[in-house]
Parts: sequence; C-alpha cells; structure tokens
Amino acid sequence: MTKFIVRRLLATIPVLFGLSIILFAFIHFIPGDPATAILGQHATAVRIAEMRTYLGLDRPLPEQYLKYVAGLFEGDFGTSFVNGQAVLTEFLRKFPATVELTVAAMIFAAGVGIPLGRFAARHVQRWPDGGVTIISLLGISIPVFVLGLTLQYIFAVQLHWLPASSRFEARSALELQTNFVLIDAWLMPGWSIDQKVGAFIDGVRHLILPAIALGSIPLAIITRITRASVIDVSNEDYVRTARAKGLTEKRIDGRHIMRNAWLPVVTVIGLQVGGLLAGAVITETVFAWNGVGRWVVDAIGDRDYFIVQSTILMFALIFLVVNLLVDIGYAFLNPRIRYA
Amino acid sequence: MALLSVDGLIVRFRTHEGTIHAVNGVSFELDEGEMLGVVGESGCGKSVTSLALMRLLPKPAGRIEGGAVRFDGQDLLACSEAEMREIRGRDMAMIFQDPMSSLNPVLTVEEQMVETIRAHRPVGAAEARKRAIELLGMVGMPEPETRLGAFPHQFSGGMRQRVMIAMALALAPKLLIADEPTTALDVTIQAQVLELLRRLTADSGTAAILITHDLGVVAGMTQRINVMYAGFIVEAATTADLFARPGHPYTVGLLHSIPRVDALEGEELIPIEGTPPDQRRAPVGCPFAPRCAWRLPVCWETNPTLEPLLAGEAVVTTGPAATHRSACHNRPTMAEATAGRPLRDGFVPAPAPGSEADELTTVARP
Amino acid sequence: MAASIVATPLASRASSGLWRDAWGRLLRNRPALLGLVFIAIFVLTAVLAPVIAPYDPGALYPPPPGASSGATGPYPPRSEHLMGQDLQGRDELTRVLYGARISLLVGLGSVIIGVLLGGLMGALAGGAGGRVDNVLMRVVDALLAVPGILLAIGIVAWLDRGLPQITLAVAVTNAPIFARLLRGGLLAVREVDYVVAARSVGASRARLLLRHMLPNAITPIIVAATLALATAIIDIAGLGFLGLGPPDPRTPEWGTMLTDSTKFLREAPYLIFFPGLAIVIAAVGFNLLGDGLRESIDPRLKK
Repeated sequence: MTKFIVRRLLATIPVLFGLSIILFAFIHFIPGDPATAILGQHATAVRIAEMRTYLGLDRPLPEQYLKYVAGLFEGDFGTSFVNGQAVLTEFLRKFPATVELTVAAMIFAAGVGIPLGRFAARHVQRWPDGGVTIISLLGISIPVFVLGLTLQYIFAVQLHWLPASSRFEARSALELQTNFVLIDAWLMPGWSIDQKVGAFIDGVRHLILPAIALGSIPLAIITRITRASVIDVSNEDYVRTARAKGLTEKRIDGRHIMRNAWLPVVTVIGLQVGGLLAGAVITETVFAWNGVGRWVVDAIGDRDYFIVQSTILMFALIFLVVNLLVDIGYAFLNPRIRYA
Repeated sequence: MALLSVDGLIVRFRTHEGTIHAVNGVSFELDEGEMLGVVGESGCGKSVTSLALMRLLPKPAGRIEGGAVRFDGQDLLACSEAEMREIRGRDMAMIFQDPMSSLNPVLTVEEQMVETIRAHRPVGAAEARKRAIELLGMVGMPEPETRLGAFPHQFSGGMRQRVMIAMALALAPKLLIADEPTTALDVTIQAQVLELLRRLTADSGTAAILITHDLGVVAGMTQRINVMYAGFIVEAATTADLFARPGHPYTVGLLHSIPRVDALEGEELIPIEGTPPDQRRAPVGCPFAPRCAWRLPVCWETNPTLEPLLAGEAVVTTGPAATHRSACHNRPTMAEATAGRPLRDGFVPAPAPGSEADELTTVARP
Repeated sequence: MAASIVATPLASRASSGLWRDAWGRLLRNRPALLGLVFIAIFVLTAVLAPVIAPYDPGALYPPPPGASSGATGPYPPRSEHLMGQDLQGRDELTRVLYGARISLLVGLGSVIIGVLLGGLMGALAGGAGGRVDNVLMRVVDALLAVPGILLAIGIVAWLDRGLPQITLAVAVTNAPIFARLLRGGLLAVREVDYVVAARSVGASRARLLLRHMLPNAITPIIVAATLALATAIIDIAGLGFLGLGPPDPRTPEWGTMLTDSTKFLREAPYLIFFPGLAIVIAAVGFNLLGDGLRESIDPRLKK
C-alpha cells in the first residue's frame, strides 16, 4: 500500500513539470510580443521596454523558466496589472467563495445522484429507469449558464422563492473574515443567535440556485455511473451466492452490492471536482458570485495575464491533488489493492 | 417420502432474441443422504435445474413455467420469497463453479461466514465466529483463526472452494447442491475437494446433487446419475449400472470420449459429432437425433420418454435399487456400448426428414 | 468533458457482419433515432439558414409600433419577429437560425482538429513506444490536469478572442481523449501482431486481422467523436457566453447572444430561452446518437 502511494506521488512529478512548462509558455510565448499584449496597442516604447525587462524577456529562456519556478516556490505568482496586488494573496482571499459553491454543488450532485442511480438500477428498463435516464441526459446537454439563467428566471424573477444572485443580501451587515459566508455568519461578534441563524440561512438560500446549476453535470454523470455500477455488481456471482445463503435483500443490497458498487462511483466523484472547478467560472459569472471564477473572467478582459496563468495553475494543482487522494482512497477501499 | 421430488419441471428464458427452452420437463427424486450426479454438456440445463430448485433464476428472463417441486414436504414453487429465504442456506445450500467470483472480494472470510450463520440463527458475533473457525477446520484449512481475517483473493483456488463448502454446510442443510465445484480448479486439487465433499456429506447425512460435465468426477462419488441433454433427462441409473451398461447413445458417446488409462493401444477416441442443439425452438422429436449414430426415422418425429430398460419393470426412483431408465427408441446393445458405435449389419442412421444430405451417415458406416 | 470511453476490442467477427449487426441495432434503438432527428433538424437549419431565415442576422430592424422613442430594444415576439428582437433591434429568429451554422462549423471543426491532433499524438506514442510514448503521454496528462473548459479559456485568453481561436481551444481540450484512444487501439493491434508472428502465420492472415482490428479500433473513436461534438457545442457556447467569442456583435453565435443576459433576464427572457433551447436540442441530439452508437456497437449481453 505504501509502495502504491509512493509510486503514485512520483507519477505526479512529471505531470507537474509538464504543467509548469505549459504555464510558463503561457506568458512568455504569447503570440506577438508579450509586453505589447499586456500593455495594449497604445503603450509607449519606453513602457514596453520596461515591461520586457520586468518579464525578464531579454534573459535566456532556461533562466526565465527557472526564475518562474523559483518564484512559484516562494509564493510569488506575479502581481496584477490592474491593481498591483499580489496574485497569490488575492487568489487565496477569493478562493473560499468558490470552495463554498463547489462543495455545495458536489453535495447536491452526489446527494441526489447516488440515490437516483440506485433507484434507477432497482427498476432497470422500466419507467423509473427511463425517467432517470432522461434527467441524466438533460443534465449533460443543458449548458450550465442556460440552466443557471433559467433557474434564475423561474425561481427568482417569477416565483420570488430564492435570490437571483450574490452570496448574501446586500443590505446585510455581514462582514467576511474567512470569506466562507456559512462560517462567518457564526463568527460575527455581538450578534444574537437569531441574527446568526438568519445570516446562515440567508447564505444557504443564496447558494441553492448556483449549486444546482453548477452541479447539474456532475449529477448526471454520478447518476449514470452509480446506475451502471449497481447493475454490473448485481449481476456478479457473489451476489448470487449471497442470495443462495438466504440473506435478506436489504443486507444483500447494503453489504454486497453497494460495498462493491461504491468503488467506481468514488473515482468519478473525484474526477468531477475538476469539472466543478471549471464550471465555477461560468456559474460565478451568471450569479454574480464573488469568487475566483469571476475574477479570472474579468482578468481576461483586462488582459491581466498573471491572474489567468496563476488561476489555471492553482486549479490544475488542486485537481491533481484531488485525483491523487481519490486514487489512494480507492486503493484503500479495494482490498485487492490494499492487500496485494 | 423422498427428500426432494421434482416433477415435470419446465424452465424458459425470455430474451430479446427469443425464448430459450432450457429445461423441458425434468422429473427426479432424491432421498435423504443420497448423492445424485447430474451430467451433461454446457447448456443442457443441469445448472438451470438446480437454480430453479433454489428459485435463484436470473430475473426477469428466467421463469419456471411448469412442473412441481417438493422439498422436505414443502411445495417450493408455492413458497413466498420470505419463506424461500429461510430455506436457502439453512435447509438447502449451493456452491458454485468459480470460487473467486462467487465470494465477495471486499468482505473478509469471517464476515461472509458469520453473516450466513447469523442470518438463520439468533447467535452473537462471538459465537458465530467460533463456529466459523470450527467449520474452516472441518474443511481442512490450516490455521483457521488467522485465516478468518483474510480476503478471498488471498487464498488459492482450492482453499477458496473449501471456504465455500464450509459456508454451505455451516447450518447443516439437508441438501447441498454443488454446481461444477471442481471445474475451475487444478486437477490435483480437484481430487482433494471432491474427497472432502464426499466425506462431509456422508458424515453429516446431507443429501447432495453433484453437477458436472465430467463423468470421471461422478464415478467415485455418487450413488445415482442423471444424464441430461438439451433440457431433458435422457438416462437415469445407479452409478454402477450406468457405467456397466449405458442405455442411451449419448451416454455411450460420453463414455467413449474420455481418454482412459486402461484403453487398448490404438483404440480411437470416438467423439460425438455435431454441436449442441439450438434451444431457441421447442424440440420436435428426440433432441439428440442430429448427432445420434443409432437413430431411426421415428427419432425425428417423436421425443422418447424415460422408460425402464427392461420393459414393464416397476419404476423405483431412488436408492441403490433405482430402476435403470433411458429415453431412447433404439437403445444400444451391450456390445455396441462397449464398441461405441452401432454393430448392426447395413444399419444406416435415418437421414433427416426432407432437407440436406446428412454428413453423419458417412461417419457411421462401418 | 465527454464521459470516458474505454476501447474494448471485440471477439473476432467478420467486419462486414459487425457493421451490419451494429447498424441494425442502431436503427432499432429509439432514443438514438430521436437523436438523429434532432441532429437532422440542427444540420438542416445550419445548411438552409439563408433560405429559411426571414431577415439578415446582423441588420437592425425597427421597433414595434407604439414603443417608447429612443429605446432600442429588446422587444418581445410578434408576428414580424417571431422570436423577438435583441438589444440592438436585430431579429432573434434569424440569428438563432444562422447561429446553427456557426455552432455546426465550429463544433465540427474543433472535433475534427481534435481527432487529428490527438490521433496523431496517440499514433506516434503507440507506434514509436519508449521515450516518445512517455513524453507524449505526459503532455496529455498535463493537458488533462487542467479541468475542462478552463483549458479552453486559457487558450483563448492566450490567443485573444474569436471563433477560430475558440475552435482551436476546444480542439486542444478534447485532443487528449483521442490521443489515449488511438494509442490504446494501436497497442492492442501490436499485441495481436506479436502473437501472430509467434505462431508463424502467413502474411494474408495478418492482413485479415488488421481488417478485423482496424474497424474495431475506429469504432470507439467514432463514438467518442460524436459525444465530443455534443460537449464541443456546449463549450463553444460557454466561451461565447463569457465574452470570448467573435468580437463582431453582428455574428450570431448562440453563446454570445446570451452574454450579459442577466441584465435583461426580467424584461426579455425570450432572448435567453430561444438560443438556449437551440443549444440544448443540438447537444441532446449528439448525446443520444453517441450513446446509441456505443450501445449498438458493444451490446451488453447481460440485461
């Protein structure tokens, strides 16, 4: 098992290396001249020269690359051209908002998707299965922004059941410390329990629509894989043995079928984290969510390349770490690998 | 009263591609403590019959569409699913061909054995664990206490099958069905596992049905044998009678396609020509006709029923005095059975009605 | 992105029989047929847009009579403009119809380029083996480490906005899938070749095996490409929505038509509904067909 973990960690290194090269190339090989691209067409020659020196473009290539990687290890991810703030600091400040959204979306996707998949598997080829298949199909065929806008229109504009955007009511006096609204509600000094609960619920209400929109694709995929996994496992010989021993259906379902069916589902959930991070960009734009996704989109418009480069790097890193954890988790859950 | 009585069992599979007639009216009985062998090639219905007995047919395709089954005085086909659940494991147990895929890979041996015991008896985990160790010892597992916490993939094939046997006999069932228990094992291990089965069932007085495609497996084990083909029982006899005087061309064929150490030098293996029938159509006439070297014109039209070899003899279905029966219009003689082919002058197997030239005619000519 | 597809070489069957069986199964698969219908609607709309569209997609049209003067739009559907008019007064129906052209072209383009790019990488990796294989697959892994649309966003940010850039970006995003498929297929073929050589079989047999293996290797790619097309259409619209699409506002790209739509969500939901519906129909079509293809080529024996 430890050998497996070590091997897996080592396998990540070449990928990190490749990633760093790609992202290095991102700034240093912008089509045309990077400095001009960043400063825009109207920049003076002097400013362009300054920018080129700042970017280190006149140094030999390998030196530039090493400087870049060294900077990464020191936490220097560049600074924003718009407001001069350190990219890493700004990223860490805004990131919790995206995390809150992503976690909520994952809870929705797995919390609804897994039971739905099991339900479909129990009624294979009959009406309920068909209905679930349709839901699944729509989940992957409706773009996140279309779904988000539709949800906004129905539930916020027409029915007024849920708020249309933002993370909490504008007129709320909530101050962000951790930047997790659901945590900060409880951290407010001097607020009564009622106020805290109110702010918490307000935060939850604002999370619902974006979480559903963002989680729609993982929901579809998790439902599908759960259904397929349960069906496959149900046809295995050891399930037949369990029946031959006279066990109750409940026991067979829980111990024999689900314990084995979980494995592929867990892997897929891990992979979906990546999809959620990517989808957050669009969801935050639709719902005016003050997280990293929206920050990146604005940065692209502002040609603030360091932000774009660093965000992609951070998201890729997170995705890699999650995949690593999922692989290790899978090896742990599957006795055939754990006790190889 | 026989422990198990099967009467005219019919099992069909309804699939997208049509209906498969897996079992077409099978009848047999089994006394307490008897071991019955069921022999036949793949697809003959031997496994399906036993799955039907336990009502474990794959749903929704597999259906019992006729016949009756009585076990220990109960009508098994009329039982509710809850009643069947109690019977399974406790009164009737089954072990399967591939022990690797038949054991849950994510549960330890202890968990799988203990759950069997506690599903039918109100015992605590500790007591069940003790019983599990006892059982593992009974099947010859070295160091059972330490092996309990292991997972199935950590055992060899033979050991895995012993675990399955231990699980099956945990509650001292009245009937044990063993479906090809040794087919997936190495030859050297096969003998050990079979001997274990024989000893355990004899010691505990458990009746057993041993299903296999290999006549060699049943030779030293069973008291009686049913030979099945295409969903029918084509011959039923005591083991001794079957080997001494096979009464059906298919049995003759089976006996002659086994290489034997004591065979005369130069004696050829006589394979059974042709392939198993397509069971998507209900059979017309004897199902073995297309491959039979003894066939008469009537064989193409009427399916023979299972009748005693000696006409008019009373039918005894179980025990050492069981009547030797076969379903054949033109039974091989003793000499033909020994030779493996018909020995009658000028005898030509009847060609198929109408249609194509029969390639088997050339083979059967002496 | 597209759900992962595993290439499984089937047991040997004559290739013509394989196709005929698969085709027959596909025709009997009702959801797949529905998908084909949706795709047909999509493609026909794209092809016939200039013929069936009532107006010009970039031109501005007058507001309905009685509208407040000075305002430019949007205006709700009426008989002259069945899907309404957008913020500048352009005819929405025409733009939706012409939008199909763009989605189809860019979508097809990105998938074809992705197949070529990825296929080339995979073929090189699988064919050359050794260090080339290692390096190429690390590149693929690095590309896959950047989740989904983020990679496309990065590429478009790098290249600047526009339709050709979007095409390339989405192509690079789905290339890794095809790289892996082709490499896997090639590795399987190599193993078979080895066995054949070991058995000293004549060349003609080897050619027959290639004729078996090659169709088997191509079919997972066809399935993957169909599903990738569905994802591509959605991703392209997503990129357009974020403002990374064609800079010319007269170009009727479906996603771009929805940019900043949150502003007029209340007043003009129809501006969101119609292009949104169009995207969904196209995506559903290709998803249904892709699933149907996958099922008909590799039928599940246990049901």
